[in-house]
Amino acid sequence: MGSPSPYLPGLATIMKIEEQTAMEKLFMLRPNDGKPLGHKPGQFVEVSVFGVGECPISVSSAPNKKADFEICVRRAGNVTNALHNLKAGDVIGIRGPYGTHFPVEDLRGKDLLFVAGGLGIVPLRSFINYALERRKDYGRIIVLFGARTPADRLFKAELASLARRPDLEYLETVDVGDASWKGNVGVITTLFPKFTIDPKKTYAVMVGPPVMYRFAIAAARAKGLADDHIIVSLERKMKCGLGKCGHCQMGPVYVCQEGPVFNFAAIKNLEEALS
Amino acid sequence: MRRASGKGEMMTDKLILYKEHLNSFLRKITKGFELIAPVRNTYGDTLFEVISSVDDVRIDLTNRPILSPKRFFMPQVETLFAYRYDKSGYTFKDAADSTPRVIFGLRSCDTRGILFYDLIFQEGLKDKYYLDRRKDTILINLGCNQPGENCFCKSAQSGPFLTYGYDIQLTDLGDRFFVETGRPRGRELLAGWSYFFRPATQTDIDEQYEVVLESEGKFRHRLDFDAATDKLINQEVAPAIWEEMGNRCQNCGGCAYVCPTCYCFNIFDSPSSEKEGERLRTWDACTFAGFSRLAGGYNPRQDKAQRIKRRFYHKLFYDKQKYNIPSCVGCGRCADICFGRIDMLSFIRLICEQKERVLAPAHRRLGELLLEAGLISQKDLDLAIEKQAATGKPLGAQLVEMGMVNKEAIARTLGYQLKIPGTAENIED
Repeated sequence: MGSPSPYLPGLATIMKIEEQTAMEKLFMLRPNDGKPLGHKPGQFVEVSVFGVGECPISVSSAPNKKADFEICVRRAGNVTNALHNLKAGDVIGIRGPYGTHFPVEDLRGKDLLFVAGGLGIVPLRSFINYALERRKDYGRIIVLFGARTPADRLFKAELASLARRPDLEYLETVDVGDASWKGNVGVITTLFPKFTIDPKKTYAVMVGPPVMYRFAIAAARAKGLADDHIIVSLERKMKCGLGKCGHCQMGPVYVCQEGPVFNFAAIKNLEEALS
Repeated sequence: MRRASGKGEMMTDKLILYKEHLNSFLRKITKGFELIAPVRNTYGDTLFEVISSVDDVRIDLTNRPILSPKRFFMPQVETLFAYRYDKSGYTFKDAADSTPRVIFGLRSCDTRGILFYDLIFQEGLKDKYYLDRRKDTILINLGCNQPGENCFCKSAQSGPFLTYGYDIQLTDLGDRFFVETGRPRGRELLAGWSYFFRPATQTDIDEQYEVVLESEGKFRHRLDFDAATDKLINQEVAPAIWEEMGNRCQNCGGCAYVCPTCYCFNIFDSPSSEKEGERLRTWDACTFAGFSRLAGGYNPRQDKAQRIKRRFYHKLFYDKQKYNIPSCVGCGRCADICFGRIDMLSFIRLICEQKERVLAPAHRRLGELLLEAGLISQKDLDLAIEKQAATGKPLGAQLVEMGMVNKEAIARTLGYQLKIPGTAENIED
């Protein structure tokens, strides 16, 4: 008895829902207790739709003084389907934030190479916006974004405004183009020949589908980046978020505790991490 | 909890409980605690059950229960909290269970399993559901005089008798139990009913020691856990072996369900209506295909071979690395139930064939073993062999007849000699 259950979520109200693509919606949430989440870029929360269940979702907004925060959710399973059926004003459960975050402090003064594959832009958006709010704390910022098709691109308006910024280099691609698409076609690594970096000053921060990592890491290495200059965030089934339930383990590592953000050098030999 | 009556003079840590007093003792326990003990049911299975009336059930202290009592600490399905939605919003009710319990007749493997759970559920974020139940539960361990068919707790260093971790430990001495108190609450429990016990004498202590030795000699299996772990660390298990085991795995999850140390769980909601329901957690198994599968379909452990490999790496290597002990207590239950023979016993034998050949002194002669144990002298042996030539009796019988050694010692030594399987018969499949 005594302490309340760590499995008991806090409540948050959906303030606004923005449809991003046919598959993804952006939810603006306000904690009912009015307290900010206290997250750092790269962390995740366990989202509850009561009666359906709970699942881990990355926080997509940068930390700020306000309590409101955003999650961007792909319709993929039971809970996310249920979330997609909710409307503004509905109340959901939130536990967290959990997990490690991008090393935003350690990377001050460094050049940042963001590599976002598909939904990987969601957690990276938190860091990108965090860095832009403190623009002079960081060196060059390069953002690579790859989507399957033009219609699958998330945060279209936001990314377009990034592309217009003079203090940021933005490159995007799609795997498969369409009639209206005039940009690059090809997987995300086809963007790598389009820029140069100073490998000593640059850190790559990558989030994408499992298949992306092997190729993107190889491309980053080919640019001269050392393994410890590559930061990745891995997706696993983080059911409890508390380092107990076992689902997210890879080798001896609980991803919900020691991850999802890892320095590549620390996990490159870990079985089950990047295969 | 009851306190000592004030007399307390006989509360040493080694006592004797005569078997005719056992039921009276257990009846007393049921007055202040929920009593859980191994009960033989009408199907002939022995399982840990809650006992409301000691006289209405058949408490079975002979057979090792089919399942460990882990469900009394982490039920197969348990409520984390209940939720309810009404016009004022959501309200929650946290589940809590701190019923005082006594688990009587746990085997050493099971007690060690609970000690492993203690590590898991106390490290990092403390799991209040587990700890609430654990806090007020007293463990009465029953050492094993007769290891079972698939038991290998001795190899796992978790039995057949415990040297720590129990609240109370019993040893069956035939007409009576030798009773040891470990943790203070074990002593406190007994202090309330000191009239059931008498202090152990030196004879009792000697007899208990013999029972322990004898039991240790009776194991059919001796496995080299360190060698197995080394093979995993050095990646010496061929991919073909994982493939083969993966092919034989039926994804049933039985190994995890019967395992006293498996703790992985899933969390899900069980709505009773649109407005209310419960969030539950349930046992899960890493051999299930969906265990690590993400929404959307990506599964980092798609193949059965990967899942089997992970299971053994977790138990023999990762946990060993983290907690300094493997998370296998040698209870042999996975070997009892796995019809694909991908249990711990089969696995360690499979990968350590070579090693076990060295370990098992299968062809030692009785005379040598008795000599080595210091039970007879070389002179005794020579004399008996000389006599044996005339009588034609087995050496053991000859030695007993000549009064050089007693039957029990022979049995123990023979047990050691015969029960450890020879190499050829030891490797099945």
